[in-house]
Amino acid sequence: MSPISEPINQLPKPSILEKLIQRHSKLAIALLAIFIVVFVYGMVTAPNFLTLFNFKTIIRDAALVGIMAIGLTFVTLSGNFFLLSMKETAALCIIAFATGMASGWGFELSFLFTMVFALIAGISQGALIGIGGNPIVVTLGAAGVLYGLGAYWSDNLVVSYRRPHGAEWLGTGSFLGLPNITVAFILIAISAELLLRKTSFGRQVYLIGANRAAGRATGHENFWMAIKVCTIASVCSAFVAIAFSAQVSSAQVNYFSSEFGSSGDMTIMVIATVMVGGNSIMGGFGSTLRSSLGAVFISTVDNMMVLHGFNSGPRVFAVGLMIVFSIIVFAILRRGSRSEE
Amino acid sequence: MEEQLLSLSKITRSFGAIHALKEVSFDVMPGEVMGLVGENGAGKSSLVKIIGGFDSGYTGQLTFANKQVRFSGPVMAERAGIAIAQQELSLIPTMSVAENVLLVGDNVPKIATKRQLIKLVEPFLSEVGLDYIDPATSVERLSVGERHLVEVARLIAHDPQLLILDEPTAALGETDSIRILEMVERLVKRGKSVIYVSHRLDEIFKICDRITILRDGRSVAVKNTKGLSVSELVNSMLGRELENMFPKRISTSSKTPLLKVRDLWPDGLLDPVDLDIFPGEILGLAGQLGSGTGEILSAIAGAHPIRGGSLEMDGNVFMPKTPNEAIKAKIAYCSEDRKHDGLFLGRPIIENLTSTALKRIGNFGILQPSAENGLANDIAKGFTIDNSRLPSEAGVLSGGNQQKVALGKWLAISPKVILVNEPTRGVDVGARAEIYQTLHKLAKKGTAIVIASTDLQEIANLPTRIIAFYRGLKVSELGYREVSAENILTQITDPFGAAKLER
Repeated sequence: MSPISEPINQLPKPSILEKLIQRHSKLAIALLAIFIVVFVYGMVTAPNFLTLFNFKTIIRDAALVGIMAIGLTFVTLSGNFFLLSMKETAALCIIAFATGMASGWGFELSFLFTMVFALIAGISQGALIGIGGNPIVVTLGAAGVLYGLGAYWSDNLVVSYRRPHGAEWLGTGSFLGLPNITVAFILIAISAELLLRKTSFGRQVYLIGANRAAGRATGHENFWMAIKVCTIASVCSAFVAIAFSAQVSSAQVNYFSSEFGSSGDMTIMVIATVMVGGNSIMGGFGSTLRSSLGAVFISTVDNMMVLHGFNSGPRVFAVGLMIVFSIIVFAILRRGSRSEE
Repeated sequence: MEEQLLSLSKITRSFGAIHALKEVSFDVMPGEVMGLVGENGAGKSSLVKIIGGFDSGYTGQLTFANKQVRFSGPVMAERAGIAIAQQELSLIPTMSVAENVLLVGDNVPKIATKRQLIKLVEPFLSEVGLDYIDPATSVERLSVGERHLVEVARLIAHDPQLLILDEPTAALGETDSIRILEMVERLVKRGKSVIYVSHRLDEIFKICDRITILRDGRSVAVKNTKGLSVSELVNSMLGRELENMFPKRISTSSKTPLLKVRDLWPDGLLDPVDLDIFPGEILGLAGQLGSGTGEILSAIAGAHPIRGGSLEMDGNVFMPKTPNEAIKAKIAYCSEDRKHDGLFLGRPIIENLTSTALKRIGNFGILQPSAENGLANDIAKGFTIDNSRLPSEAGVLSGGNQQKVALGKWLAISPKVILVNEPTRGVDVGARAEIYQTLHKLAKKGTAIVIASTDLQEIANLPTRIIAFYRGLKVSELGYREVSAENILTQITDPFGAAKLER
């Protein structure tokens, strides 16, 4: 006895293209089509773009931003918006790691030492957000504190350590022809996706992100969630800091602020990656896979432009354009996918 | 014969292969209140959207004031003289009543002092029966009912010929609802026409001259209210006989209370409350909006701040501080606002149904899809939710089905006590009956059920016994035999006989 059955589509299924046109606005399809044309044109005409070596380069470039973006995705999905302290967490952690390495503590101990800072940063920011602090304000403040600590500790100087050292395998080593940092990116991407899809924790992330009030009513408090997701994001930041330091055998507090990635600012790049992946800014919809693909995508466009000989100005411009573009397209797609009530 | 003010013929509206409306005919005479009824999903909202100019993608003819028209936007409909009061209010809370009433429109002066505005709005406010409020008060300080009236005042300021009220009383208590009805009567006396969309059949019968019934996107009948019986109307809404809306009342069997509430003092109540809740009963907390019944339920569930109090169940004395602690004690609580904290609208129905019991469907934190499917299917069966729809988003369901999901998710924790505030707000007749049946079944199995409701019909017919509240005060308890709609109405509106004294 189900008298409340609503009308269901019982006609034969239309083809994928028809369905696409029926369900999504023509504007979204037109934007996507334009983009695909430009993208394919760029790919075909860029010298040496379609080589295995270049493909590896793209993934390697995507790895560092990608890992941080995966961490941040947990925060965004859980409805806690963004952390504006991603690069500052990395800045403090890279100083901590390099100081450990320079003092001759070895990789393992320096790694743990760094992670302690990441945990403290993550838990304290998470707790402040969890008790109702605005994530933007909290992490803006935290950013200042973390960066200031790192700068004070290192005296704004480069902390360097000599090769050979115990972290080289992570920075410059490779496995089956892939750089280890790429391998780490792939492993982290897979495990993050499994964590979200297959565990109760992941389910809670989505539920609280979709509706915080309903999450609380069903026994899932955002307080603990905020702490957990901020810690994940901070640990990812710390890992990136360690991997980067291992590459260059040194650390300086401003490594993530300039000359890094195409737009020069790691936090902005990471947030851009999460958004280009099409994750809902309000939470509850998206995945770390989307962020990983977002990182690869940005890296691909960037790579293509480098091969075409563009300098950094147009490349920053392109990243900005991609953010705007993806927000529009995903907003339209998402609206179109909801049935009319 | 009189000319019709509005007439629709053969209106069809399809979304892809789905027909929201099929050859619907509908008309309204000048100075008439036309009721529009139907189950959720019958097409009431689609029809209202077309009349109001929000949707122009239909086929068929729409004639308004002797002119054939097709509104391309709400502004056009408004210019023509049609105004819609939507369920969701569009007032700006921080602005004054006067500013809200004169927010937009052709007759609003471009520059005006506050005093001028106040003078301008006074006639509109008295029209809707709000002449006692100061037009300079900001809207956020008004009650929900008063806000609805302000919204209508704003529409009247445009001097419409036809006013559409879409579920105006869905969120209102009894007294506020009465004010809306009085306002409709006043408007009609001045020659305006009103389309009144509502689930509340008592209101429909009270004020409508004629009633149009929609079913599955078709207009199945237009009836004169005079001489129509409720069951006749319900039957043509459902297209079948509704045997009994309310199951046979349970007379409680157990003598030992399952949950003892002692000195519970939720914020918003005047006195602490003691309650004994017995297994297998349905306890009704009767009261209007602001009587404190909802606060009591949410306080028991740890979702509302309290000044003190304790619960006793199975020999344990405790007081949940968060909903999570209540859930651990197997106390389930469903608030009156499912969209706010009852549902994860953007998530699949299956995730909604299992959201309360992630531990039950997981093994060391790993979700077990087979366990989850099994649990969700069981709940869906118990609440007559179509289980082929489990993977779709909860947001696409109609109000009735959403409410079933919001309630159904609590079955996952095998609750001992279920607290429900407004179990059937905004729910159509068919789903309503199913919800009553399910609550009844649960009580029979020994679950203690407490409902708080402002729906008189519901509170008079479902519970085993009733406790009445008036403005934050417990006024009386009515047992199995004393429960009647009249009794309850007196208790919740005028328990101390004050109204008689004044006269």
